[in-house]
Amino acid sequence: MNRTSLVERLEGILGPGGVFHRPSDLLVYEYDGSVDGAVDTALPAAVTLPTTTEQVAAIVRLAHEAGLPVTARGAGTGLSGGAVAQQGGIIVSLTRMDRIVEIDRADRTALVEPGVINLELSETTLPQGYFFAPDPSSQRACTIGGNVAENSGGPHCLKYGVTTNHVLGLEVVLPDGRIVWTGGHADGGPGYDLTAAMVGSEGMLGIVTKALVRLTPAPEATLVLLAAFGDVDAASHATSRVIGAGIVPAALELMDALTIQAVEPAYHAGYPLDAGAVLLIEIDGVVEDVRALGEEIAAICREAGATEVRSATAQAERDLLWKGRKMALAAMGRLAPNYYLHDTVVPRSKLPATLHRVDEISRHFDLPIANVFHAGDGNLHPLMLFDRRRAGDVERVLEASKEILHYCVEVGGALSGEHGIGTEKRDYVTLVYSADDLAAMAGIKNSFDPAGCFNPEKLFPKGYMCGEVRALRAQAMAQKLGIYAF
Amino acid sequence: MRSEPDDRGGAVGGIDGELPASIDGLTPSTFVAPATAQEVAEVLADAAERGLAVAPVGAGTALALGNPPDRLDLVLSTARLREVIDYEPTDLVLSVGAGARLGDVQTVLAEHGQELPIDPPRGDEATIGGLIATGLAGPRRLAAGTLRDLLIGVAVAHPSGTVTKAGGMVVKNVTGFDLPRIYHGSLGTLGIVVSANFKVLPLPRAEATVTAAAPSWEAAVAAAERLRSSRLDPAALDVMRRDGAWSIGVRLMGREATVGGLADEARALLVGETAVATGAESAAWWRGYTADQAAIAQGDDVVVRISVRPRAVGGLIGSLVRLEEEQEVQVGYLGASVGVGSVVLRLRLAGDNPASRLAALREALLTLADQVVVLAAPSAWKRGFDVWGRPPETIDVMRSLKHQFDPVRVLNPGRFAGRI
Ligand SMILES: Cc1cc2nc3c(=O)[nH]c(=O)nc-3n(C[C@H](O)[C@H](O)[C@H](O)COP(=O)(O)OP(=O)(O)OC[C@H]3O[C@@H](n4cnc5c(N)ncnc54)[C@H](O)[C@@H]3O)c2cc1C
Repeated sequence: MNRTSLVERLEGILGPGGVFHRPSDLLVYEYDGSVDGAVDTALPAAVTLPTTTEQVAAIVRLAHEAGLPVTARGAGTGLSGGAVAQQGGIIVSLTRMDRIVEIDRADRTALVEPGVINLELSETTLPQGYFFAPDPSSQRACTIGGNVAENSGGPHCLKYGVTTNHVLGLEVVLPDGRIVWTGGHADGGPGYDLTAAMVGSEGMLGIVTKALVRLTPAPEATLVLLAAFGDVDAASHATSRVIGAGIVPAALELMDALTIQAVEPAYHAGYPLDAGAVLLIEIDGVVEDVRALGEEIAAICREAGATEVRSATAQAERDLLWKGRKMALAAMGRLAPNYYLHDTVVPRSKLPATLHRVDEISRHFDLPIANVFHAGDGNLHPLMLFDRRRAGDVERVLEASKEILHYCVEVGGALSGEHGIGTEKRDYVTLVYSADDLAAMAGIKNSFDPAGCFNPEKLFPKGYMCGEVRALRAQAMAQKLGIYAF
Repeated sequence: MRSEPDDRGGAVGGIDGELPASIDGLTPSTFVAPATAQEVAEVLADAAERGLAVAPVGAGTALALGNPPDRLDLVLSTARLREVIDYEPTDLVLSVGAGARLGDVQTVLAEHGQELPIDPPRGDEATIGGLIATGLAGPRRLAAGTLRDLLIGVAVAHPSGTVTKAGGMVVKNVTGFDLPRIYHGSLGTLGIVVSANFKVLPLPRAEATVTAAAPSWEAAVAAAERLRSSRLDPAALDVMRRDGAWSIGVRLMGREATVGGLADEARALLVGETAVATGAESAAWWRGYTADQAAIAQGDDVVVRISVRPRAVGGLIGSLVRLEEEQEVQVGYLGASVGVGSVVLRLRLAGDNPASRLAALREALLTLADQVVVLAAPSAWKRGFDVWGRPPETIDVMRSLKHQFDPVRVLNPGRFAGRI
């Protein structure tokens, strides 16, 4: 199918306002939120903006017929290249499917279209006493569809879990254009847990057109503690001691000196400028517990060498303490023209050693690295500061991030805690998974998308062909045995 | 902390469970109990080569679950894969062999003030692998979720002869598709889980259970709704009928100083006589209450699980009470997790031709709820229908998933949904 007839047929489905195809209109879809140079960019043939599930299905059927790749896209805030149409083809942007279809207080669920912005959902349900727990730092912009595809997390996932723990069911357009539901209001549905397969599948198995998500009752009381320490070591040891005392806070975030110096002058959150690190600890629950646990945590922090501990219960004071954390990325602009936000995980007990290694790497590459991250679950976010226009900077950033990844894997960590693999980390996947491990993943891909048209070239190493590896193996075995499985 | 291998291989528990003589009337010709993951894979590869059907077995506490197998040649016991592979209390993560019993695992965790916050029926005896395969859960899922929410990694042996791993030993991980959760609830039809990694949690510092008799199911459900919408945030909240009497149980967890006060508040929200159990007695009360929900066919008992959206539980209970009268079934036990939307019945069918009466009951239940699973029933009665309920609209994706992982149908052929 040539481009003109493709566009014509898409316009037949969506109307002229629902298709972008002029080069100038396509440019913004070349990227996602990743840093230029860290992931590839690619131009789609067309961008579609459906408003209904049926339109999504029609687009997918057309692509299926034409053998064109399809890439779903939410707000494009992803940080692993997920929404980039690596092999061109059609981008399905879900931003116009942004209705909150139903909020059910008795069931504590919300049925939403994929283009609903994460924060909007919580802002809509909070007056009724509920919130959507996954709270990525990008929550003002990112979509629920994107959250589902990346299995996103956020500060409060320490207590409440990540996106997969909050998705009950999904309406999905499969690669052959069929519309199906996985999961639903009642659990215990028969068969394999295809909802689990969809969450975190980076748009490679199906396009989410509705999500049934769990709403969490707002806690009766909330307390935020700010604890300042001389260095990151002391702060990460304090983290381990809080957890060791049998307390799981709602959130436990660490910011190092470089972050504090970027944030405090800009947002006046009240972080001590001379601190080597601060911990932001939030606890919530019934009012009696929160008060007592707050005192307990404050005592643990002091024992662990905190130079200052402050607490806030009033909403405005809590918001101010959080503001520094939430605006940390924005504040980095004060320190350098560009930053690269890395995402790796290590076992919590390996945090001090890992932060040392990150510091060594920072010195070795002469690259300032700020650390602002989810310390409670060992999810690091080294922020590398650089200047894209300076020759060699991007390369140094990539080299440094590679060394960090290698180290994290060595100490038993993972490649990504919440941003996904996409194209950014696909060539590192073999650090953690063997050829057999990948073949099992390819088995998932093949059962949903045998033609490999949904978001190609993501997750698997460059050149890896899902279809061949696994299907051949299965066929060989069946032939050998003279069995033609159903 | 890595457990030192001793003469028992550093294992928790022992191989004491009797291996089953048969599954749903089919008798295997061979029993094996491999000692390593690799051995499990070799057994599977050999079975694939020879076209044998394999049923993986843990402690045998849920063998009644599933359709009768199409074929059965070999029973593979995970009993020797029971070691604590890695446990890092400060990281709140645990890696354990699939054959370890939950009760033994909880004992190891409790030494460090930690637990897996799950309470499946007769769960202490069940193995970790069996709990992953069946996905059976108890009342605590209301607040703490299920094993699915705690699973962070697995190692799995496949009929291709390989052992693969997915996930890892960190609590947050989005490296690739979420295979661990796909294996959860797959009844061992995609591969045999040989070990699993979990996020664990601190034990609650204190707990209390408040129970109260209720004059009717309506009163019990209304009380449950009051508790659910209170500030108490119960760990479990069930309405039950045992020996013909309705009652309600609510489990509260928190700090020592708080739990007593919360229990008083709960009593104020209940009507009539209440009783309070604390500490170990509280936990024991729930073990006792849920024991009848296990997927174990005792005599001619039939165990059925019906799931609806939480708001529909009251209506469902009402319909069940009416159905009971119409269909002349004797429901000896009814346990409903109100906020979860799940009701488990243990019942007997009076009169002639119980098999067709069970099929009719199941049809009737399917008009009340979308999800109806016959968890246990005498084998012969299960042959007329799919115990898992209606096949989902995604059954073809599920079939191709099965085909990718087990092309010659070595693993539990016929037992899973859609007779996969
Ligand atoms: C400043 C900043 C801070 C961030 N902080 C966090 C954080 O704290 N935690 C975190 O987890 N992430 C974070 N992210 C990453 C990103 O915001 C999340 O991954 C987010 O969930 C992506 O949502 P999106 O709508 O922008 O998706 P996109 O970027 O548009 O897409 C992401 C992936 O999802 C797929 N996709 C999108 N919609 C659908 C759909 N409907 N069906 C199927 N597949 C779909 C795409 O194909 C792509 O693979 C941050 C990003 C930025 C820029």
